[in-house]
Amino acid sequence: MKRERSVTIAKIDYGIVIDHIPAGKAYQISKVLGLNAFARKTGDIIAIGINFESPSMQKKDIIKVENLSLTRNMLNVVALIAPNATITRIEDGKVTEKHKVEIPDSVGDVVICPDRFCITNHEQIAGKYHVVSKNPLTLKCHYCETEFFGPLIKYKEKN
Amino acid sequence: MNFKGKDIISMKDLTREEIDHILSSVENLKKHPDRSKLCRGKVSAMLFFEPSTRTRTSFEVAMRNLGGKIGGFYDANITSAVKEESLWDTVKMHDGYGFDVIVIRHPLKGAARVASEAALIPVINAGDGPNQHPTQTLLDLYSIKETQGRLDGITIAMVGDLMNGRTVHSLSEALLKYEGCNLIFISPRDLAMPRSLIDKCKSEISERGGSVTEGSRIEDFISEVDILYMTRIQMERLQESALAEKFRSIYRLEASMLHNVKNNMKIMHPLPRVTEIAQDVDDTPYAYYFQQAKNGLSVRETLLALILGAIK
Repeated sequence: MKRERSVTIAKIDYGIVIDHIPAGKAYQISKVLGLNAFARKTGDIIAIGINFESPSMQKKDIIKVENLSLTRNMLNVVALIAPNATITRIEDGKVTEKHKVEIPDSVGDVVICPDRFCITNHEQIAGKYHVVSKNPLTLKCHYCETEFFGPLIKYKEKN
Repeated sequence: MNFKGKDIISMKDLTREEIDHILSSVENLKKHPDRSKLCRGKVSAMLFFEPSTRTRTSFEVAMRNLGGKIGGFYDANITSAVKEESLWDTVKMHDGYGFDVIVIRHPLKGAARVASEAALIPVINAGDGPNQHPTQTLLDLYSIKETQGRLDGITIAMVGDLMNGRTVHSLSEALLKYEGCNLIFISPRDLAMPRSLIDKCKSEISERGGSVTEGSRIEDFISEVDILYMTRIQMERLQESALAEKFRSIYRLEASMLHNVKNNMKIMHPLPRVTEIAQDVDDTPYAYYFQQAKNGLSVRETLLALILGAIK
């Protein structure tokens, strides 16, 4: 018999909630977005929930960040890792905006080109990638033209 | 169609119409009465970060034939690159020296694209590592068209190291822009065309009435092809030199194999050749590789003239 559990994650009055993240991906998203550094700098609350129960996904992860708004680049990262995520903006304890993320046509310097002969792996050049397929997610390096997908997509993580 | 100021970085950037325009401009330039004055006063920066024989020489001669001049370097060891100057900075610096075009060869993939973003003047990619070498592909296409009168509907077999050979990757992709081409890939399994490229060719070519066939013996296909495109088995790419020797003996073309070929059949090779084409093939009417290399000069002259705005 399924055990009923009621676990909630801290409420925030201002900030954003990234919900419907595939189970196990929240930690990666937080590293790629650099939320740790953000928390160190601001002292604001960041709540990361892993393996929460979800009617639509069975298990999901959730991230709440106090006093944060997401840049376009950050939204793109979330969309790549969690294509079905929803972003909710909370102001004064109330939901003021809610939308699904969308995989963009191109992304900036957020992943590492898997080709070791690519110039971006040898010189300080900000990577650029074109999304050639959304499912399965396939990226093409703007510089070396290598196409890659699956485990070859490695995100740049910040400490 | 205006090519003035345009970068030539990857064949993927060029449409069929643009490729056709470049190829037809080659013929026009050959007949141009003032060819030797077209680029008078123009200077090309040759940024060669790695050695090159044909590409470098033909670009130099091409610029000279058009009345232009060249500058730059052919050995990154004598530049500030040894002082760890970045590619971006090296290109920026040359961009400011009053050159009109940059021709770049670099061992790393994507270097030419970086150069094109660093420079305000147009950049021609003369090979960025194993990635793209668009002027080679254009001269290959020109040579096919010159010998067959068309690019649509040709049957071409590519032979040898199809895994590491950038010319065959780029040529295959370029031919996908044409109608009804039949591509035949002949190689040992260890050196086969990358799966992703075969899949791409298959899915795109069927829409255009062509076909993709994989094989392992030249003899099985030689009588049906219009173009036999030979490539070198690259010793440096194979772990065991014995394997390279074995493949070289199997994927070798000799004059005795040419008794049953089509009259219009031509043998092409990006050169340098090692043993994959026996010297007795050179004297047959099918050998075209030296003419192909010579076409490289005309194609590079044309590209320079187009990009520098000397012709339209």
